[in-house]
Amino acid sequence: MTLYHALALSAIIFSIGIYGVLTRRNILGILMSIELMFNASNIALVAFNHYRHPGTLWGQGFVIFVITIAAAEAVVGLSLVLAIYRNLKSVYTENMNLLHG
Amino acid sequence: MMNHLPGLVFYGFSAALIVASIGVVTMKNVFYSAVSLVAALTVVAGIFILFGADFLAAAQVLVYVGGIMIIMLFVVMLSQQPRDQLQRQTNDQWVAGLLFSLTIAISLVRAFRVFVTQEPSLAEMMPTSAKLGSLLLGDMLLPFEVVSLILLAALVGAVLFAQDKLS
Repeated sequence: MTLYHALALSAIIFSIGIYGVLTRRNILGILMSIELMFNASNIALVAFNHYRHPGTLWGQGFVIFVITIAAAEAVVGLSLVLAIYRNLKSVYTENMNLLHG
Repeated sequence: MMNHLPGLVFYGFSAALIVASIGVVTMKNVFYSAVSLVAALTVVAGIFILFGADFLAAAQVLVYVGGIMIIMLFVVMLSQQPRDQLQRQTNDQWVAGLLFSLTIAISLVRAFRVFVTQEPSLAEMMPTSAKLGSLLLGDMLLPFEVVSLILLAALVGAVLFAQDKLS
Protein backbone atom coordinates (compact mmCIF):
# COMPACT_ATOMS: atom_id res chain seq x y z
CA MET A 1 0.00 0.00 0.00
CA THR A 2 1.89 3.03 -1.27
CA LEU A 3 0.88 6.45 -2.55
CA TYR A 4 1.23 5.20 -6.12
CA HIS A 5 -1.34 2.47 -5.58
CA ALA A 6 -3.85 4.87 -4.05
CA LEU A 7 -3.39 7.32 -6.92
CA ALA A 8 -3.71 4.54 -9.50
CA LEU A 9 -6.97 3.43 -7.85
CA SER A 10 -8.20 7.02 -7.93
CA ALA A 11 -7.31 7.34 -11.64
CA ILE A 12 -9.10 4.09 -12.50
CA ILE A 13 -12.28 5.10 -10.64
CA PHE A 14 -12.16 8.53 -12.28
CA SER A 15 -11.93 6.94 -15.75
CA ILE A 16 -14.85 4.62 -14.98
CA GLY A 17 -16.82 7.73 -14.03
CA ILE A 18 -15.84 9.42 -17.31
CA TYR A 19 -17.01 6.35 -19.23
CA GLY A 20 -20.35 6.49 -17.45
CA VAL A 21 -20.81 10.20 -18.12
CA LEU A 22 -19.99 9.75 -21.81
CA THR A 23 -22.07 6.67 -22.55
CA ARG A 24 -25.10 6.59 -20.23
CA ARG A 25 -28.43 7.53 -21.81
CA ASN A 26 -30.24 7.88 -18.49
CA ILE A 27 -29.55 11.24 -16.84
CA LEU A 28 -29.68 9.62 -13.38
CA GLY A 29 -26.86 7.30 -14.45
CA ILE A 30 -24.85 10.35 -15.51
CA LEU A 31 -25.39 11.93 -12.07
CA MET A 32 -24.23 8.72 -10.38
CA SER A 33 -21.09 8.63 -12.54
CA ILE A 34 -20.34 12.22 -11.49
CA GLU A 35 -20.56 11.09 -7.85
CA LEU A 36 -18.00 8.36 -8.68
CA MET A 37 -15.62 11.01 -10.07
CA PHE A 38 -16.02 13.12 -6.91
CA ASN A 39 -15.09 10.08 -4.83
CA ALA A 40 -12.02 9.38 -6.97
CA SER A 41 -10.74 12.90 -6.31
CA ASN A 42 -11.49 12.49 -2.60
CA ILE A 43 -9.39 9.30 -2.46
CA ALA A 44 -6.50 11.16 -4.13
CA LEU A 45 -6.76 14.08 -1.69
CA VAL A 46 -6.83 11.85 1.39
CA ALA A 47 -3.91 9.76 0.09
CA PHE A 48 -1.78 12.84 -0.60
CA ASN A 49 -2.57 14.14 2.86
CA HIS A 50 -1.64 10.81 4.46
CA TYR A 51 1.65 10.28 2.60
CA ARG A 52 3.00 13.75 1.79
CA HIS A 53 1.79 15.95 4.67
CA PRO A 54 1.21 13.63 7.64
CA GLY A 55 1.14 16.35 10.30
CA THR A 56 -1.53 18.55 8.77
CA LEU A 57 -5.16 18.08 7.77
CA TRP A 58 -5.59 20.45 4.82
CA GLY A 59 -6.35 17.65 2.38
CA GLN A 60 -9.06 16.26 4.62
CA GLY A 61 -10.51 19.75 5.02
CA PHE A 62 -10.72 19.99 1.23
CA VAL A 63 -12.54 16.65 1.13
CA ILE A 64 -15.19 18.05 3.47
CA PHE A 65 -15.82 20.90 1.03
CA VAL A 66 -15.95 18.47 -1.90
CA ILE A 67 -18.56 16.36 -0.07
CA THR A 68 -20.58 19.50 0.71
CA ILE A 69 -20.52 20.74 -2.89
CA ALA A 70 -21.41 17.23 -4.09
CA ALA A 71 -24.45 17.20 -1.82
CA ALA A 72 -25.58 20.60 -3.11
CA GLU A 73 -25.01 19.51 -6.71
CA ALA A 74 -26.94 16.27 -6.23
CA VAL A 75 -29.93 18.04 -4.65
CA VAL A 76 -30.19 20.68 -7.38
CA GLY A 77 -29.54 18.14 -10.15
CA LEU A 78 -32.16 15.71 -8.87
CA SER A 79 -34.82 18.40 -8.49
CA LEU A 80 -34.04 19.49 -12.07
CA VAL A 81 -34.43 15.86 -13.19
CA LEU A 82 -37.82 15.69 -11.48
CA ALA A 83 -38.93 18.96 -13.12
CA ILE A 84 -37.83 17.70 -16.54
CA TYR A 85 -39.51 14.33 -15.97
CA ARG A 86 -42.77 16.05 -15.09
CA ASN A 87 -42.75 17.87 -18.43
CA LEU A 88 -41.26 15.29 -20.80
CA LYS A 89 -42.16 11.98 -19.08
CA SER A 90 -38.65 10.80 -19.95
CA VAL A 91 -35.21 10.66 -18.30
CA TYR A 92 -33.23 10.02 -21.48
CA THR A 93 -30.81 12.70 -22.57
CA GLU A 94 -31.60 12.57 -26.29
CA ASN A 95 -35.15 13.78 -25.55
CA MET A 96 -33.89 16.82 -23.67
CA ASN A 97 -33.24 19.09 -26.64
CA LEU A 98 -35.37 22.10 -25.69
CA LEU A 99 -34.45 24.87 -23.31
CA HIS A 100 -38.09 25.62 -22.41
CA GLY A 101 -40.96 23.24 -21.82
CA MET B 1 2.22 -11.19 8.47
CA MET B 2 0.68 -8.38 10.53
CA ASN B 3 2.74 -5.83 8.61
CA HIS B 4 1.06 -6.80 5.38
CA LEU B 5 -2.45 -6.63 6.78
CA PRO B 6 -3.28 -2.98 5.83
CA GLY B 7 -1.95 -3.64 2.32
CA LEU B 8 -4.10 -6.73 1.91
CA VAL B 9 -7.17 -4.88 3.17
CA PHE B 10 -6.37 -2.02 0.78
CA TYR B 11 -6.14 -4.32 -2.23
CA GLY B 12 -9.36 -6.05 -1.24
CA PHE B 13 -11.13 -2.70 -0.91
CA SER B 14 -9.67 -1.59 -4.26
CA ALA B 15 -10.96 -4.68 -6.05
CA ALA B 16 -14.41 -4.26 -4.47
CA LEU B 17 -14.48 -0.57 -5.37
CA ILE B 18 -13.53 -1.19 -9.01
CA VAL B 19 -16.11 -3.97 -9.38
CA ALA B 20 -18.84 -1.83 -7.80
CA SER B 21 -17.93 1.17 -9.98
CA ILE B 22 -18.05 -0.90 -13.16
CA GLY B 23 -21.45 -2.11 -11.96
CA VAL B 24 -22.58 1.52 -11.58
CA VAL B 25 -21.77 2.39 -15.20
CA THR B 26 -22.82 -0.86 -16.88
CA MET B 27 -25.97 -2.11 -15.10
CA LYS B 28 -29.04 -2.09 -17.30
CA ASN B 29 -31.45 -1.28 -14.48
CA VAL B 30 -30.78 2.15 -12.96
CA PHE B 31 -32.02 0.98 -9.57
CA TYR B 32 -29.35 -1.74 -9.53
CA SER B 33 -26.64 0.74 -10.43
CA ALA B 34 -27.82 3.00 -7.58
CA VAL B 35 -27.49 0.05 -5.17
CA SER B 36 -24.05 -0.64 -6.64
CA LEU B 37 -23.14 2.99 -6.03
CA VAL B 38 -24.14 2.57 -2.37
CA ALA B 39 -21.65 -0.32 -2.14
CA ALA B 40 -18.94 1.74 -3.86
CA LEU B 41 -19.40 4.73 -1.52
CA THR B 42 -19.29 2.49 1.55
CA VAL B 43 -16.02 0.94 0.34
CA VAL B 44 -14.63 4.46 -0.18
CA ALA B 45 -15.41 5.11 3.52
CA GLY B 46 -13.32 2.03 4.37
CA ILE B 47 -10.43 3.35 2.27
CA PHE B 48 -10.67 6.67 4.14
CA ILE B 49 -10.23 4.77 7.42
CA LEU B 50 -7.14 3.02 6.02
CA PHE B 51 -5.61 6.44 5.33
CA GLY B 52 -6.34 7.67 8.85
CA ALA B 53 -9.32 9.87 8.05
CA ASP B 54 -11.85 8.63 10.58
CA PHE B 55 -14.08 11.71 10.59
CA LEU B 56 -14.27 11.70 6.79
CA ALA B 57 -15.32 8.04 6.80
CA ALA B 58 -18.18 8.87 9.16
CA ALA B 59 -19.13 11.90 7.08
CA GLN B 60 -19.01 9.80 3.92
CA VAL B 61 -21.44 7.26 5.32
CA LEU B 62 -23.72 9.92 6.81
CA VAL B 63 -23.82 12.36 3.89
CA TYR B 64 -23.37 10.12 0.85
CA VAL B 65 -24.88 6.79 1.80
CA GLY B 66 -27.47 8.19 4.19
CA GLY B 67 -28.38 11.39 2.40
CA ILE B 68 -27.52 11.68 -1.27
CA MET B 69 -28.19 8.05 -2.13
CA ILE B 70 -31.61 8.05 -0.42
CA ILE B 71 -32.64 11.09 -2.51
CA MET B 72 -31.24 9.43 -5.60
CA LEU B 73 -33.15 6.19 -4.96
CA PHE B 74 -36.33 8.20 -4.46
CA VAL B 75 -35.85 9.96 -7.80
CA VAL B 76 -35.03 6.65 -9.53
CA MET B 77 -38.23 5.11 -8.20
CA LEU B 78 -40.29 8.19 -9.09
CA SER B 79 -39.04 8.35 -12.66
CA GLN B 80 -38.90 4.70 -13.74
CA GLN B 81 -41.22 3.33 -16.38
CA PRO B 82 -41.76 -0.34 -17.28
CA ARG B 83 -40.45 0.15 -20.82
CA ASP B 84 -37.03 1.18 -19.45
CA GLN B 85 -36.18 -2.49 -18.95
CA LEU B 86 -36.41 -3.13 -22.68
CA GLN B 87 -34.30 -0.21 -23.87
CA ARG B 88 -30.58 -0.01 -24.37
CA GLN B 89 -28.92 2.06 -21.63
CA THR B 90 -25.84 3.21 -23.53
CA ASN B 91 -25.70 5.55 -26.49
CA ASP B 92 -24.13 4.91 -29.90
CA GLN B 93 -20.72 6.30 -28.94
CA TRP B 94 -19.88 3.73 -26.28
CA VAL B 95 -16.80 2.42 -28.15
CA ALA B 96 -15.39 5.93 -28.45
CA GLY B 97 -16.22 6.56 -24.79
CA LEU B 98 -14.47 3.35 -23.76
CA LEU B 99 -11.34 4.26 -25.74
CA PHE B 100 -11.38 7.80 -24.32
CA SER B 101 -11.66 6.67 -20.71
CA LEU B 102 -9.03 3.94 -21.23
CA THR B 103 -6.66 6.58 -22.63
CA ILE B 104 -7.24 8.82 -19.62
CA ALA B 105 -6.80 5.91 -17.19
CA ILE B 106 -3.53 4.71 -18.74
CA SER B 107 -2.02 8.18 -19.03
CA LEU B 108 -3.00 9.11 -15.47
CA VAL B 109 -1.54 5.90 -14.06
CA ARG B 110 1.66 6.45 -16.07
CA ALA B 111 1.84 10.08 -14.93
CA PHE B 112 1.52 9.06 -11.27
CA ARG B 113 4.62 6.86 -11.63
CA VAL B 114 6.53 9.87 -10.26
CA PHE B 115 5.26 8.83 -6.84
CA VAL B 116 6.28 5.19 -7.13
CA THR B 117 9.37 5.67 -4.95
CA GLN B 118 7.37 7.26 -2.14
CA GLU B 119 8.24 5.81 1.25
CA PRO B 120 5.39 4.45 3.36
CA SER B 121 3.98 7.03 5.68
CA LEU B 122 5.20 7.15 9.27
CA ALA B 123 2.17 9.09 10.44
CA GLU B 124 0.48 7.72 13.51
CA MET B 125 -3.22 7.04 13.36
CA MET B 126 -5.01 9.36 15.74
CA PRO B 127 -8.51 10.84 15.94
CA THR B 128 -8.82 13.76 13.56
CA SER B 129 -12.19 15.23 14.52
CA ALA B 130 -10.95 17.87 17.00
CA LYS B 131 -8.09 19.05 14.79
CA LEU B 132 -10.35 19.11 11.74
CA GLY B 133 -12.92 21.18 13.60
CA SER B 134 -10.41 23.78 14.71
CA LEU B 135 -8.97 23.87 11.18
CA LEU B 136 -12.43 24.49 9.68
CA LEU B 137 -13.22 27.29 12.11
CA GLY B 138 -9.67 28.68 12.05
CA ASP B 139 -7.63 28.76 8.87
CA MET B 140 -10.47 27.59 6.63
CA LEU B 141 -13.07 30.00 8.02
CA LEU B 142 -13.66 31.92 4.77
CA PRO B 143 -14.36 28.88 2.56
CA PHE B 144 -16.46 27.46 5.40
CA GLU B 145 -18.72 30.52 5.34
CA VAL B 146 -18.83 30.62 1.53
CA VAL B 147 -19.87 26.98 1.38
CA SER B 148 -22.75 27.72 3.74
CA LEU B 149 -23.96 30.34 1.24
CA ILE B 150 -23.70 27.75 -1.54
CA LEU B 151 -25.76 25.29 0.51
CA LEU B 152 -28.42 27.97 1.09
CA ALA B 153 -28.54 28.75 -2.63
CA ALA B 154 -28.82 25.03 -3.47
CA LEU B 155 -31.69 24.67 -0.96
CA VAL B 156 -33.60 27.60 -2.45
CA GLY B 157 -32.90 26.35 -5.97
CA ALA B 158 -34.11 22.84 -5.17
CA VAL B 159 -37.36 24.17 -3.67
CA LEU B 160 -37.85 26.44 -6.69
CA PHE B 161 -37.24 23.74 -9.29
CA ALA B 162 -39.36 21.16 -7.48
CA GLN B 163 -42.46 23.39 -7.54
CA ASP B 164 -45.33 22.26 -9.70
CA LYS B 165 -45.66 25.44 -11.71
CA LEU B 166 -42.66 27.69 -12.27
CA SER B 167 -44.21 31.12 -11.80
